[in-house]
Formats: sequence, C-alpha cells, structure tokens
Amino acid sequence: MDFLGFLVTQCLNALSQAALLFFLGVGLTLIFGIMRIVNFAHGAFFMLGAYVGYSAVHVTGSFWASLIAAPLLVGAFGAAFELGILRQLYRRDHSAFLMVTFGLTLIMGEAIRLLWGVAALEVPAPKSLSGIVFILDEPFPIYRLFLIGAGIVVAIAIWQFLERTRLGLLIRATSQNAEMVHALGTDVRLVRSAVFGIGCGLAGIGGVFAAPLVTASLGMAPNAVIDTFVIVIIGGMGSFAGSLIGALLVAFVQVFGTYYFPDLALALMYLLMLAVLVIRPGGLLGKEA
Amino acid sequence: MAIKRNSLLFLAICVLALAPTGLPPYVMTLLTEALILGLCAMSLDLMVGYTRLLSFGHAAAYGLGAYAAGNLLLHTSIPLVFSVLLAALFSGIVAIGVAWVCTLASGVSFSMLTLAFAQLLYAVAFKWTSVTGASDGLAGIPRSPGPFGITFFQGRAGFYYLVLACLVAAFIFCRSLVQSPFGAVLRGIRENEAKTLSLGYNTRRYKIAVVAISFMLGGLAGALYAPFAGFTNTELLFWLFSGQVLIMVIVGGAGTLIGPVIGAAFFMLVSNMLSSWTDSWALFFGAIFILFVLFAPQGIWGLATRWRSLSSTG
Repeated sequence: MDFLGFLVTQCLNALSQAALLFFLGVGLTLIFGIMRIVNFAHGAFFMLGAYVGYSAVHVTGSFWASLIAAPLLVGAFGAAFELGILRQLYRRDHSAFLMVTFGLTLIMGEAIRLLWGVAALEVPAPKSLSGIVFILDEPFPIYRLFLIGAGIVVAIAIWQFLERTRLGLLIRATSQNAEMVHALGTDVRLVRSAVFGIGCGLAGIGGVFAAPLVTASLGMAPNAVIDTFVIVIIGGMGSFAGSLIGALLVAFVQVFGTYYFPDLALALMYLLMLAVLVIRPGGLLGKEA
Repeated sequence: MAIKRNSLLFLAICVLALAPTGLPPYVMTLLTEALILGLCAMSLDLMVGYTRLLSFGHAAAYGLGAYAAGNLLLHTSIPLVFSVLLAALFSGIVAIGVAWVCTLASGVSFSMLTLAFAQLLYAVAFKWTSVTGASDGLAGIPRSPGPFGITFFQGRAGFYYLVLACLVAAFIFCRSLVQSPFGAVLRGIRENEAKTLSLGYNTRRYKIAVVAISFMLGGLAGALYAPFAGFTNTELLFWLFSGQVLIMVIVGGAGTLIGPVIGAAFFMLVSNMLSSWTDSWALFFGAIFILFVLFAPQGIWGLATRWRSLSSTG
C-alpha cells in the first residue's frame, strides 16, 4: 500500500469528520457564549436533524430540500423550547439549564423512538455525490469530499455572519455585556431565542449531513453530545475559532487513533482533553477557567 | 424539632426493618433495589446538594464498586461483607485521582469532565474483557459466606438487612459529616467559593475529599448491587444511569440527604408503574424532571418539610 496515498486519504477522512463535529461544536459554543448555559440536548437536536432529514428526503425526494427543511424545523423547535421553558430559568444558576436540557434529551429520544421506530434508517447520499474517486490510487467517497467543502462554506458563512451582519453584531455584543445591550434598546431575550434556534439548527444540519454516513439511529444523541462537549472544552467555551480547532483536533485523534490504536481510540480523545485542561483549564482559546 | 425529626427517622428505620416479615418476595426485591439506589443518590447529594459540584458521572462510582465487588466475589473467597467494603474503598481511592483532574475546572466544565471520565470507564469496560467481561458483563456473582461461616446475608431477607444497615450507617456518617466543620466549608464552597478560598481554606482539597467520599459511598451502592443482581454489565457505567441518579437527587430534594433516598424510591415506584402500561416511561420521566426543576427545585422532601413547617406554625 502506498503510504502517501494512505496518509492523504486518512487526512481527508479526518477533515470530513471534523466538518461534522464542527457543526455540533459551533452551535454549542455560540449558545454558551450568549447565554452561559450548556445545552445537554445538543446531541438530541443533532439526532432530530437526521430523522427529520430522512423524512424530508422521503417526502420531497431531494436531499437538498431536506438540507433546508431539517435545520429550519429543528431550529424552530429549539427556539420554541427557549421561549417556552429556558427563558424562565435565567435567574437560576447554570445547573438548572443542564438539568432541564437533560430532561429534554430523554423526552426527545423517546419521542423520536415513538415517531420513527427503533430500526436505524438509511438515508442515501444524493446520486451526484454517491460515487468514489481515486486519490493517489486510493479510493475515497465523494460524499466525504463534499462534507469537507460544506464544512468550509458553513464556517466562513458563520464567521461572516458574526462579523458583518447586524444580528451578528448584537450576538457578539450580548456575549460581552447583555445588560448594556438591553439598556441600549435591544430586546436581549429575542437575541437569546434566535441564538438558541441557530445553534440547534446547526446541530440539525450536522444531523442531515451525518445521516448518509452513519444512518439515522437512536444511539446518535449520546455519542454526539459527548464528542461535542469534548470539542468545546478543548477549544474553549464560547470561542468560535476554538470550536473549529477543537473539531479538527478531535477528528484527527479519532481517525488516526482508530487506525493505530483501535483498543484505545475512545480513551485517546479523553486523554487529549485532559492534557489540554491540565495546561489550560479554560480550553485552548477560552477566556475563563 | 430536631428530636421530633430524629424520632420520625427512627420510626422509618423500624418500619423498613420490619418489612421482610410482611412483604411478598417480589416487593422485597424492589425495595432492596430502591434502597441500593437510594444509597447511590444520597452519596451524589454530598457533591450536588452540599458542595454544588454537579457531577454527570456518578455512574463511574457505581460501576467501579460493582465491577470491583464482582471480581472479588468471583475470583476470591473473601466474604461478602468484606468484599463489598473493599470495593467501596477501591472506588473512593480511584476517585482521588479523578477528582484531582476534574477539579482543575469548575462549574459547567466540571460537569462535562465527570461525564467524560465516566464515559472513558464505559469505553474501557467494553474493551477490557478479562476484567469486565466486555458487553456480556460479569455473570453468576455469588454472595460468598462468612466470616466464621455466617450465611445470614445470603438469603433474601438477610441481604436486605445488609443493604439497610449500609444505608443507615452511610446516612449517619453523611449527616455528621455535613454538620461538622468540614461540612461547613463544603457549604461555603457551595455559596461562594471565592470567599471561602479567601478565608484561607484550600477549597480544591476539600472538593477532592468530598468527591472521594461521595465515590466511596456510591461505590458501596454499586458493590451491593453486584451480589444483589448476581451480574454486572456496562449499563451500570452508562451516562444514562448518571443522569437517572441526578434526577433522583433533584426530584427527592438536593442538600437534604434523606430526600435523594425518597427520590430513588419514587423513581423505582414511578418507573415500575409506568413501565407496566407504557414502554415510553422515559418520556414521562423527562417531563416530570423538567417540571420539578422549573416549579419545585427543592424537591419532594423540600416540599414536604415546607408544608409541615407551614402547618405547624398555622
């Protein structure tokens, strides 16, 4: 086997994995940056995205339509949850959020089981993306290349959204000083609802993208939520660039770890996180410990 | 008031001690399991309720105790009682290392780290077949007799008394702990860690100590579960179990020690009732949990004591 070809395809593999993890991590970190809360249900929103995507593909017959419909629905559900329930908790300490979103995780997992059943659901990749290409004589799925591209596009889009748009400006301002933003005449509560919806919607996009690779299944949520926490802790809570770096680090450790140390692959991710925390308790780009 | 509460507790213990004489075997089995879970929830309360260390990884304590006791009972002839205590000690010692790492962070990051650590153990349990039996778990865990040929704890009632004795001893231990100067420092950390630190207390050392004690008692619960069920599996280390124990603590009433035990019993009762007419009991439990966090953060025991103090003052 050609070592260079192997190395390149494994790196591409890791990059496509990083793209998926980034969709999760950036949503969680945005929500944390604004609200100082940790959304335990983030993995459940990711899973919901995969299932809604599956249904949207079946109704419309188009993967692209599901890519638009699923994040909108998941995001709307997230925003509604924030409006209905989370909003009442801002005066309480952070543990209340963690517990309420844990309860939501249980409810969503069970509701998805009732609505879609226990069997894992196959979502085919769109025809134009379902083949393989040869990179240095190694076969590589086109869909994973597409994921890398999608990850880059979304990362740039979020970055530009935060830097260039009025809502992005409000989001950054609110994360620095919510009371001041409120005093200047912006309804911070609306910003919070919007951010929670956007974060959940991003997890939903991740779910749609992940479904053709891993099938939509009930085990998605716990795996996703823990990977996401690890990414955000490594990168630093509330840091956009941190979530990108965290996603890349975790993806490379997962892909190469699984290849070289199959028995230790899971442990490696946690060891990476512990190493980062011992050196920088607030994460690589985090502000607070 | 304190005397009245003590006599109420004494009454409750007496009722529990008489339970084997009147209850059918099926109910006794459920009650034993409820008391084991109650012990586990009470141990978590030391962290959650008294120190505000929100651990999402208490399954680690339970699982460590269960697997340690399982291995001791399967591979050595150490009597049941000593095996259980050794396993609890083992869990507490491991926890010192865990706590050293987890207390590097605070707040939300602490919760995430405890979760990650428990998941790490879960992953290890799947791979380390010779010790954990991987996905099959350990089966046929005996209740080894002795010492001095005592076989009392092997029967259903005898084992129940062992569990009850552990729970009562742990409760007395925890209550004197939280009433001691050590407990006052824990409450200081809960209310304002920076202030406690500036008063000259090394808060991190206190946090490590309380995590170790909490894991030791949680490990005791797990160590009792292994010979109770006769098997262990990786479910005991899964994050879902950590979440369930946390639900028991919050629903029962955090920071009260007795509340989490009631929460565990409530959890057993409701999940048994719900599972008899629906598969989706997790759906209802999630909703009950959210309602408690929103409207009754003080839990069942908190509601009960408030109602009692209201009615006694008129």
